[in-house]
Amino acid sequence: MNEKFILRKDHLTGFLRKLSKGHRLVAPVRNRYGDLMFQVIDSLETTDLDLSEQAQESPKAFFLPQEEVLFSYEASGGIYDFRPINNSEQTVYFGLRSCDISAILYMDVIFLRSPRDDHYMKKRKDSILISIGCNTPGENCFCNATRTGPFLEYGFDLQFTDLGDRFFVESGRARGDEIFSEWPQFFHPVTEEDVRLQYQLALEAKAGFRRQIHVEPAFSKLRDDAVDTAVWREMASRCDGCGGCAYICPTCTCFTIFDRMESTETGKRIRAWDSCTHAGFTRMAGGHNPVDMKIDALRRRFMHKLYYDYSAFRRPSCVGCGRCVDMCFGGVDIVKFIDIVCAGTRKRTRDSRRILGDLLLEAGLISRTDLEKALSRQADTGEALGKILMDLGLVTCAEILGVLSLENM
Amino acid sequence: MTNSIEELRGAEVIMVIGSNTTEAHPQVARRLVAAVDNGKNLIVIDPRRTAISEFADIHLQIRPGTDIPLLNAMMRIILDENLIDDVFIEMRTENFSSLRDSLYTMDLNELIAITGVTAEAIGQAARMYARAQKGVICYCLGITQHICGTGNVESIANLAMITGNVEQSFTGVNPLRGQNNVQGACDMGALPGVFPGYQPVQDLETRKKFERAWKKSLPENLGMTLMQMTHSGRDGQIRAMFIMGENPVLSDPHASLVKETLEGLDFLAVSDIFLTETAELADVVFPAASFAEKDGTVTNSERRVQLMRRAILPIGKCRTDSDIIMELSKRMGYRMDYEDMAEVMEEIALLTPIYGGIYHDRLEKDWGLQWPCTDRNHPGTPYLHKYSFTRGKGRFVPAEHHPPDESPDSEYPFLLMTGRVYHHYHTGTMTRTSEMLEREAPRAVLEIHPDDAGSLNIRKGDMVKISSKRGSIEIEAEPTTRVMKKSLYTSFNFRETPVNILTNPAMDPVAECPEYKICAVKVEKVGHNE
Repeated sequence: MNEKFILRKDHLTGFLRKLSKGHRLVAPVRNRYGDLMFQVIDSLETTDLDLSEQAQESPKAFFLPQEEVLFSYEASGGIYDFRPINNSEQTVYFGLRSCDISAILYMDVIFLRSPRDDHYMKKRKDSILISIGCNTPGENCFCNATRTGPFLEYGFDLQFTDLGDRFFVESGRARGDEIFSEWPQFFHPVTEEDVRLQYQLALEAKAGFRRQIHVEPAFSKLRDDAVDTAVWREMASRCDGCGGCAYICPTCTCFTIFDRMESTETGKRIRAWDSCTHAGFTRMAGGHNPVDMKIDALRRRFMHKLYYDYSAFRRPSCVGCGRCVDMCFGGVDIVKFIDIVCAGTRKRTRDSRRILGDLLLEAGLISRTDLEKALSRQADTGEALGKILMDLGLVTCAEILGVLSLENM
Repeated sequence: MTNSIEELRGAEVIMVIGSNTTEAHPQVARRLVAAVDNGKNLIVIDPRRTAISEFADIHLQIRPGTDIPLLNAMMRIILDENLIDDVFIEMRTENFSSLRDSLYTMDLNELIAITGVTAEAIGQAARMYARAQKGVICYCLGITQHICGTGNVESIANLAMITGNVEQSFTGVNPLRGQNNVQGACDMGALPGVFPGYQPVQDLETRKKFERAWKKSLPENLGMTLMQMTHSGRDGQIRAMFIMGENPVLSDPHASLVKETLEGLDFLAVSDIFLTETAELADVVFPAASFAEKDGTVTNSERRVQLMRRAILPIGKCRTDSDIIMELSKRMGYRMDYEDMAEVMEEIALLTPIYGGIYHDRLEKDWGLQWPCTDRNHPGTPYLHKYSFTRGKGRFVPAEHHPPDESPDSEYPFLLMTGRVYHHYHTGTMTRTSEMLEREAPRAVLEIHPDDAGSLNIRKGDMVKISSKRGSIEIEAEPTTRVMKKSLYTSFNFRETPVNILTNPAMDPVAECPEYKICAVKVEKVGHNE
């Protein structure tokens, strides 16, 4: 694992063609209306993949379809015959983003815990995940704050980095290594220059975020139950209950199950996406709804994303993909929610030198003496503080990146 | 709409009157909410406390059917305080003096008393709207579905014109059209007196143009309105009908008369994607294809013609509407040989000046075109009346209060309003087959003020019987302060509670739009729904 190779861009189609021999290929394609969507690619010759930006929808629906037949049944003479259904096929997902991979990892936690979901498990076993890191984060992205991008260290089978005329490809799992060894003709050894360039691009990408979303302060406020009822009420008054936020969200996995009769003898059991913003999600048979939708229509959603999942799995289930931004008709997507919740918290200064020093101090990575030594040298040389600290052997680059990603929260 | 939906964001003051925007036009409502978030002012005029009214700076909760006195009161205040736009009135309008004289003869206090709203609130709203550099009005069926619907609309136009809030972007008067293609249906001449593009049937030149193109002589007399056709009774003048994609047995007022009329026909054919209550009465039913199974265009509220592409092949034996029409026409001896919908669009462009530049190949490239779009190089029209009104100068037509056809009395003491719910579309023909939508909104409820409910000993969930002169239905009660005292509200989306059995077929004499919004009813408790 963690092997690294170079794939020339003009070899990409050939590589994907090989992959698609035993597999269905799913990749982002721009349709005639200009929407970038994950699609099943029937022919690489007639379809142009578009890797220029994040796809409009996540690949969630391939693993948890909006409507999925779980089994069909037929009754005869009072005896039911249940017929299992296989909804899966061998699939290569190409061009996923780091947020997409992170979302799939989260879905794994939900569906592969005991009791395992067989339909989901089959689809996951049949999947190869190839992601591409984001050199330039999108307008609404904030995966830096949720620590789910713009590049990942694990979770993918292969991760691509766009180096201009070539892709830097690294494997994150055994299946990725198998791909390297099965089609070695496509892959060239990496040079030091390639490694350096990939590292630099990943570093620059982290600096490219246009939104600063305070996920962690929001978490604290939710944990301490410090969000005012007026805020929840305001949120609820703006919620139309359309479910758009949950449907677009790559980690919203709530579903409902119903039977669809096709005749008096035959029918199907269906699983369909559901949303906690629907009144029917919690309304009981007698008509009473334990959740007062006028106050708490959105409470569970945000508590779940930012607090419950953090408590249970040590990670928020928001992957910072930004897809729900602009989706909400009432203007209450998760970004605005976090902003509203954190309103009043002092905005941090943008003086990165002080911040970096302070952050390293807080993290206990350097002592105050170290910092003063580095600052005085900086006064002489004008070099970047991070570089000086690294030159002095006080911190590693990874440690600096670590505290910076915390800072971005 | 005279404006584009996107323009609402840019208005300084938005006045919404007779529109439950959040539930009926969510795409418009989201722009209103965004505008409020950006510090713009919102005035909502509605007898009910709707979701959008919660965002309003001023909510005028008027008595149902008092829109004209309210608008007149606002205009009188604007006139008295000299907030009118003299230049606009002088340059672009006519007949202002008659409006002015009519307003001066009215007693402001009397007008205000009719509406049931305070003078202060009306004054605030009047000043807020009149002082705005860019003020826009959105209205919906709460304005038109009255016996005085035409007067209501004319009063809105008067208000916009005396303040000069027309003729530029972010201003104007915007009827919010329902559904995705009501505008398109009207554009294509699905009205009694016009050919496509609102070209009058009675105009000789126009008629000749269509006769030459269609190679048939065409009648010069006006057609009948929907209400005349569906409410003529068992022995009406019309003996056969072909109804496409409409369910008048549930959607038209005085539904029992509609049913009687349809049952009395010699022949009824219905085409729909599901077997509706109306289709059940038919001699022949054509299974029609859904929107996803056909190509074509729709024209939305902002006059935007949009191309829709077939996503799946028609399921089973169903056929597209155009297929059904062409096949019928052929068998009736008139060949219509259109290869595809692009060819139909071409004919529309040739015969309909406002659609003159709209072709499928142009629609493919972008997000549709807004008519008027008169030739291939025309970019479309985001807002209307830029340099002049359709008829030249805008004409002021004063209106006076016209009480509803049916006012509450001692026998029928409540006033019933009807509307729609968020999760269902019209009579629920399509949406009620979706398990999720049906779970969200499985039935209609009757909104009744808690005081009224209390005095009738009605609690939440109780079944009540509501009756008008025309019939009665049973429905579940929901006491709520969304409605005022002595007003009731429910939706017509549900076949189990066919509320149009109760509604009054009295119509606006000009538009012939029935007064769905007001009828007098009585309420009786029948039992608990458990």
